Amino acid sequence: MPSAPTMIDPVWAWQPFSPTANEPWDRTLVAHLFRRAAFGATPSQLEAAVAEAPEAVVDRLLQTAEESSSFRDESDALAATLLSTGEPRQLAAWWAYVMLNTPHPLLERMTLFWHGHFAVSAAKVTDAALLLEQNRTFRRAALGEFRPLVHTVARDPAMLLYLDSATNRKARPNENFARELMELFCLGEGHYSEKDVQELARCFTGWEIKQGKFRFNRFQHDGGEKTLLGRSGVFPDGEAIDWILDQPQAAVFIVGKLYREFVCDEPAPDPQLLQPLADEFRKNDMQIAPVVRRVLTSRLFYSAHSRARKVRSPVDAAIGLLRTFEGTANTHRLAADLQQNGQGLFFPPNVKGWEGGRAWINSATILGRANMAARLVGDEKMRFGGGTLGEYFARHGAVAPDQVVDLAATLLLASPLPAKRRDGLIDVSRNSKDPARRAADVLRALATLPEFQLC
Amino acid sequence: MTSSRRRFLKQLASGSAVMSLGARVPAFLTMAAAAEVTPQSDAILVVVQLTGGNDGLNTVIPYRDDEYYKARPKLAMPAEDVARINDQFGFHPAARGLADLLQAGKLAVVQGVGYPQPNRSHFESMDVWHTCRRKGGPRTTGWLGRFLDDMSPTPGRDAPAIHVGSEKQPLALAADAVRVPSLASPEEFRLESNDRQLGNLIDEVGFHEAPHADALLEYLTSSTTSAFSASKRITEALGSDDSPVKYPETELAARLKTIAQLIDAGLSTRIYYVELDGFDTHSQQAAAHAALLRQYAGAMSAFMEDVAHRGHGDRVLTASFSEFGRRVAENASAGTDHGAAAPVFLCGAHVRPGLTGEHPSLVDLDDGDLKHHTDFRQVYATLLERWLQAASSPILGGRFEPVDVLSA
Repeated sequence: MPSAPTMIDPVWAWQPFSPTANEPWDRTLVAHLFRRAAFGATPSQLEAAVAEAPEAVVDRLLQTAEESSSFRDESDALAATLLSTGEPRQLAAWWAYVMLNTPHPLLERMTLFWHGHFAVSAAKVTDAALLLEQNRTFRRAALGEFRPLVHTVARDPAMLLYLDSATNRKARPNENFARELMELFCLGEGHYSEKDVQELARCFTGWEIKQGKFRFNRFQHDGGEKTLLGRSGVFPDGEAIDWILDQPQAAVFIVGKLYREFVCDEPAPDPQLLQPLADEFRKNDMQIAPVVRRVLTSRLFYSAHSRARKVRSPVDAAIGLLRTFEGTANTHRLAADLQQNGQGLFFPPNVKGWEGGRAWINSATILGRANMAARLVGDEKMRFGGGTLGEYFARHGAVAPDQVVDLAATLLLASPLPAKRRDGLIDVSRNSKDPARRAADVLRALATLPEFQLC
Repeated sequence: MTSSRRRFLKQLASGSAVMSLGARVPAFLTMAAAAEVTPQSDAILVVVQLTGGNDGLNTVIPYRDDEYYKARPKLAMPAEDVARINDQFGFHPAARGLADLLQAGKLAVVQGVGYPQPNRSHFESMDVWHTCRRKGGPRTTGWLGRFLDDMSPTPGRDAPAIHVGSEKQPLALAADAVRVPSLASPEEFRLESNDRQLGNLIDEVGFHEAPHADALLEYLTSSTTSAFSASKRITEALGSDDSPVKYPETELAARLKTIAQLIDAGLSTRIYYVELDGFDTHSQQAAAHAALLRQYAGAMSAFMEDVAHRGHGDRVLTASFSEFGRRVAENASAGTDHGAAAPVFLCGAHVRPGLTGEHPSLVDLDDGDLKHHTDFRQVYATLLERWLQAASSPILGGRFEPVDVLSA
């Protein structure tokens, strides 16, 4: 069970991490950063980053905020082909492909973060084109400003259809979107009243979708005075959204979610620990990149409070495993595997998104992850850095059983591999003389261990 | 285990080798055989969670009440269409399976269930139902999880509870000491590479390593070990299926059928948990709600028939709830928004069939919502004390008077 919150000094926590003789900037810390921010590091990325300063590495990950055009062209072309079928499951395969191949993994991670935050499921919204458009919105804003993102989402056709706002009429307002806007998107439960929900729903009456596009229908809009979060007014256009975001709680709520995304699953942070981040977020017009940068360069992030304190998501497990060894994959199969393991892309479980942490893990997903890893590394048609898995390991100096195990553990594991498990894995690697088979066996077994589920 | 427990016990009873076998029967089988003669200790509870907020008012319909027709101009069910319970109330016509269960004396409806100061957030209200605790305090265990902790199951025996589904595990089952397996379907619940070495690698450290200092890693380690052992056991237990009962082809029916098979296979599991999602009908409710009720009622009646046919009718009780009901007045989207009090359904051979408690008034409302008169923890107290034979107060965090809804 989650342990009691530990008091962490907020001043210490958010100071920049600077390496010392006791806490060197080594492969362990670099691998930690890349696992959290970039779906893992390849052996070459690891070596290159160790030679740089931590902040330079983080800045380079963040620089990718503007997606490079050549990869975008490639991914757009692919999306267009898949969209012709209109099938949302094709989109999931497309996104898995993008995650696997993007030169901007942090941008993609944040896109996934917003998908989980502003969750819309293809189980209800079946128009793949609308879902793709929403996905592009998240990618464009992923490391940008939060306020315009909320305004865009409030007019986003997929969202309005998902939360029934598209049929929100003056005579009988539909509260669904209004409630979730405050509960799940901006403030958190308990920071508004039932009356606020009803009043906010009135503000969004007449916000409709016509032929896949947002349209304001003034005949269905309630233009009367409302009282929302202690202020009275008409709240035309999106003014209600601005008023919600002006609440100090909004910044606390969002940085709290970013904290959980990047720092640790548990325990929940003390409010005092979040306050400096929330202040900075407000001061910077709710820009996301500076907060992410602050977190990823902080002392807290490289400390024992953060390392190995998260449960790998299915995406982190699968994409991480593949990207670390530059692997290719059948992304249709991969998307189905992610769904099976509780993280169907475009199919979040409900409007709250994925709960994450311990909730990823149960008997079915433990077995499912083992089966997924076996498929990812066991498919002989797939290439790792252009060759077989055996060739890939050999190129990085790992040929003997213990070398194979140690390289895999260094790159993949957030916590030390117990000696007994290391011996067991070396035994597994002796099953086969074929180098590709041997490496695949080790990775498959490794990905089944409880230690692997930590990130 | 290659045959079901029932068949195995039959073999034991008829075979002349019973006495000589005794010593060589694996421990779990002898324990299962012992459980057979003390029926009260092997009562099984199946919880069916109707996720999203079921519209209780359009499930158990007050078809004589003018207020109902005023509040629901588009969604009200005409009086002639309801499946009548009595001269005032009837089931939604899509829930005919419930009417059949009632006729067979196997369904009790507890009306007006809720809790004070209802919360209308799905997640918050579901957490309240799962943990019996309001926001603010620690909520790491659920009411069923605390029951599991209290019964302190023997390590190495069957899982004391099983969640059948691919959604995340309900908080109701979260326990301090017990890990509950989730099982999406029997086919998916096994390792594809039949790798004994892998099992050994997990067992090795699971058994021999000292407990980890790290809570998260400890959780992952115990989850992994229990997943591997549950997989082995369940794959063996589900070897055969010989029931002639036909289930509808729906997801809920498939899951309940898996539960019937597991029960019949002789697992000592006491609690099963399934979920049917989709009840959040804010918009165009009529067709969606009818389909959900049809799925629910159809699956329930097939399941009750199947467990009775397999000879377990006396020891299986199902309880179905939703995190809240819906607002009395429909909204502009021909749907309903989040509400409060709603009915709970209990099915089994030992219920007092019919309606228990008054239908909440449609005019004396709490901010547009039905008022509850029975606390959900009273229903839980009934299930814990009178069905699972457990002390309810420590689990529920206080004394709640059971509802008179079970018969001897």
